[in-house]
Amino acid sequence: MFRLAVKSVRHNPKRLILTAVAVALGVMLVAATLTLTNALSSGFSKLFEEIYAGTDIIVETDPDAVDADEEEGSPFAAADAVLIPDDLEAIRAVDGVERAEGGVQVMGSVLAKDFEPTGDLTGAGGPPSQLFNWAGDPRIDQSTLVEGSGPAADDEMVLDLDSAPSLGYEIGDTVSVATETGVSEFELVGLVRFGESNSLQGATLGYMTEAAALELTGDDGYQNAAVIVEEGANQDSVAAAIGEVIPDGTRAITGEAKAAEQTEALDEVFQYIDIFAIAFALIALFVGSYIIVNTFRIIVTQRTREFGLMRAIGVTGKQLRRMILLEAVVIALVASTVGLVVGYLGAVGLSMIVESFTGDLFGTVTLPLDAVLASYVLGMIVTVASALIPAIHASTISPMEALREAGTESKKPLHLRNIVGGAMALLGVLAIAVGLYMDLDRPYIYVGVGAVLLVLGVTLLAAQVLVPLAYALKAFLTRLFGIDGKLAANNIHREPRRSANTAAALMIGVMLLALVATFTESLKTVVSDQFAGNNADFFVLDPSGPIPEGALEIIEGEDGVAFVTSTGLAQATVDGVNRSVATVDPETAEQAFDYNNEPGFDQMDGGVFIDPTLKEAGVAVGDELTIEGPEGTATLTVTGEYLNAGDAQVWIPEDIAAEILGEVAIFQSMVVLEDDADVEALREQIVDALAEDYPLVILQSPDAFQQLANQFIDLLLGVISALLAAALIVALLGVANTLLLSVTERTREIGLLRAVGVKRGSVWRMITIESMVMSVFGTILGMLLGVGLGAALVLALQEFGFDTVTVPWMWMAIYTIAAAVAGILAAIWPAWRASRLDILKAIATDG
Amino acid sequence: MTSTPIELAATMRGGTKDYGSGDTAVRALDGLDVDIARHEFTAIMGPSGSGKSTLLHTLAGLDRLTAGQSSIADTIITGLSEAAITQVRRDNIGFVFQSFNLIPSLSAKENITLPLDIAGVDVDPAWFDEIIGILGLGDRLTHLPAELSGGQQQRVAVARALVARPEIIFADEPSGNLDSKSGAELLGFMRRAVKEFGQTIVMVTHDPTAASYSDRILFLEDGRIVDEMREPTADRVLDRMKQMGH
Repeated sequence: MFRLAVKSVRHNPKRLILTAVAVALGVMLVAATLTLTNALSSGFSKLFEEIYAGTDIIVETDPDAVDADEEEGSPFAAADAVLIPDDLEAIRAVDGVERAEGGVQVMGSVLAKDFEPTGDLTGAGGPPSQLFNWAGDPRIDQSTLVEGSGPAADDEMVLDLDSAPSLGYEIGDTVSVATETGVSEFELVGLVRFGESNSLQGATLGYMTEAAALELTGDDGYQNAAVIVEEGANQDSVAAAIGEVIPDGTRAITGEAKAAEQTEALDEVFQYIDIFAIAFALIALFVGSYIIVNTFRIIVTQRTREFGLMRAIGVTGKQLRRMILLEAVVIALVASTVGLVVGYLGAVGLSMIVESFTGDLFGTVTLPLDAVLASYVLGMIVTVASALIPAIHASTISPMEALREAGTESKKPLHLRNIVGGAMALLGVLAIAVGLYMDLDRPYIYVGVGAVLLVLGVTLLAAQVLVPLAYALKAFLTRLFGIDGKLAANNIHREPRRSANTAAALMIGVMLLALVATFTESLKTVVSDQFAGNNADFFVLDPSGPIPEGALEIIEGEDGVAFVTSTGLAQATVDGVNRSVATVDPETAEQAFDYNNEPGFDQMDGGVFIDPTLKEAGVAVGDELTIEGPEGTATLTVTGEYLNAGDAQVWIPEDIAAEILGEVAIFQSMVVLEDDADVEALREQIVDALAEDYPLVILQSPDAFQQLANQFIDLLLGVISALLAAALIVALLGVANTLLLSVTERTREIGLLRAVGVKRGSVWRMITIESMVMSVFGTILGMLLGVGLGAALVLALQEFGFDTVTVPWMWMAIYTIAAAVAGILAAIWPAWRASRLDILKAIATDG
Repeated sequence: MTSTPIELAATMRGGTKDYGSGDTAVRALDGLDVDIARHEFTAIMGPSGSGKSTLLHTLAGLDRLTAGQSSIADTIITGLSEAAITQVRRDNIGFVFQSFNLIPSLSAKENITLPLDIAGVDVDPAWFDEIIGILGLGDRLTHLPAELSGGQQQRVAVARALVARPEIIFADEPSGNLDSKSGAELLGFMRRAVKEFGQTIVMVTHDPTAASYSDRILFLEDGRIVDEMREPTADRVLDRMKQMGH
């Protein structure tokens, strides 16, 4: 039987090429993703190994010992100092320790030599700087001095050998380093190389003396310590001994274990990337399954007489079914192998392109075992499962079919299909509604299952709904294209299942595109609605971290500035639960920005506002909340609600916050100018004032800020569209494939048309019209579903500030035109085949 | 061995077959009694719509009777499950159709051995070679059906029917698509199979010349057997058909 299946596949490969390509495309995505993330992971684990290569033991904050209320801390702050010089002495006294040095990391940016502050995002940013204290021992610094000398005086520093020239510095130059407290200047005295090859992924690496580093952090201790053990000493037992002498909340871990821990943490991130990309691959494969179903169904029809003959000479239905499934297995094997190889080569190519920009980033690009497994398993499941229904259909073919003339296929009514389709679509809508609007655990499962049901249901219904609709165009098409249009409409109508499946494959891809477009357009509306309530003239930003207090003081002091109002973000224990807390100035906040709250912040009255999360937890206006921070505890009355979910959970006045939370990192500041101020002139004035100490601080106008947000949203749409491209290509292959197979099936008919004088061009046009009608209808159906689902999603997210559904009209127009063009393209091969048919052979053809 | 039908390869008793239902019902077979003797070449003749093809299909277990029963050798196939009938066909019956006899993707040799391959039975090389020799297919075995002439294709089909030594071979207009020379060759081979190897063959045809190769002809009209002829010649058959109004 296997031999027969292989023979059958080899005998007529043309009808299976597009099917195999469809499977291969999906598999390719899977293989490429897994290969790339595997290479990235091995690249980073190499980096981690290098970072901790020389260091035997690291003493650092114990992640397990961090109190719940201190977890996270403020998002931008550098690690706290956890070791004092006495601790370092205690570590040095441990048996087996050869050397131990405290580590200090400075949060700051090395400015390029020709840096000019502009107050814009452009020109700022770039890769972050990594600034440490210099121990002078490569085992601890992980860097080796390659030129000049190490930093000896407190106004000296060294940079890595790649960054110094790219920032424009030579040894002897003065280097500017911007930190939260201002700009410091150092003399560049030497160049270092990180690890073996200075592969820093584009970051700038710099070292200064311990005293200079401590001065910049403002701390009197170390964030960690690096320990070198004596030769012959056991690292694990020394680490255990050190563990005895270091303060609570810190731990001693070997360099090797630390590298492994970091790699593991990163691998978790890569796993999410894998899941994300594989989701899109699955979509492509799902669309591909429509093509496989169609192909096998058509093949079974075309081979009805062959199967009938086999049945007549004693092949059982079961054997026939097994044979067709074996054919599917053969295709899956070939297609998965092709997909795997192309995916792997694509990943290798991509990694080389990326590395030509970033330098060493990937480890050795090898084909990981899970990519091989996933490729074959997915390819096999999709192909065989899709071939199952046509195979069952084939097994019921009566041996009498062998005796019938070709093309006298019995037609089954669509009633059952409609009932099942309707039920599935209804259930799907129901499941989506339940997932979106009921408060259940894991709502995405309901939404996902519902969406699949809806798509399958609509596919089934499409045979009854879509095809008659297309058929209704007959008069229009006839008028427009004459007999070609009439024949095209008839052809679509003739095989409603086939046409519906073909259009539905495209529908799925377009549906997802329209869904994302609806979502992102609505997101833009949310953004512009929010900016509509804005009175601020500038937003203050600092791309390198929280906004420095000093910078805000300078801005406030400028003539023409009415006031600056800031929002800080911190964590605190609220009634025993760790919550995110935002601080505002109740007097000014509402004047700068129309927050979505009830009432306004100006009526906080020394109390706190709560967000929907707390409201759901049972807290109401008038209740009292006990807020516990590092500096103190306060019990405050809830005086209002902040209505957007997803921002901070508790909002408190900044004067109260100062007492209980201490210094809070500021993440957003707004500047309001006096009424008659010249905005442009004032902006320049402020940027000049900041240039001395805070050159990296940015003043963004609300318009530019909104534009930036929109650009980001467009980028999101672009990325998702690009990932969906695979599914769309597969869908178009499906259109081409269906047409190609139906051209083969209609060989006699087309031959007859040609014989009675229909021109080649007309045949071409007939196939093209068929293709365009199927594509456009699939697209329209997809857009209806996509916009509908997108609207449901937006409405479900109402509490996050989404209140208007924006229909992406422009995108819909683009998709429709693209579908028509794609229809023309998809028709090229089938139409070429059809128009080239040899008339005599076409009429004489048999079976 | 002409007129001693002691052993029966196939029988039908009261065979009735209706197509459709209600007003559109058509009775194709009307209570037929048929015996097919072993080692005999039986031809079934009749005008279009006389039910001759239906008789062949129901005898061979390709189609089911509406009433009555039929058997192959000792097995009553009426009422058997589809799987059981398939088994009977595989083990006891060979087929030669008018057209589309071969699987396009298999070579001539693979087509010939297909019934044995399906049943998982080894090919008897001596028997295979003998058939191939008689049918003159020796140099055509590796060709695909599309590369063979019509006559060669039908000979491959006959070889396939013979290779498993079935109880009975059913042929439906086997020479219908062939020119007269190829047709005569093919029918000659079929006759030899009956005479030399004791094969049983039932053939449906409307061609008097083709029918004259048989030992016995059954004439069908409106689903009933109206006459029988032994040791036919083409002229006698033609005369008989003229009587029937053709």
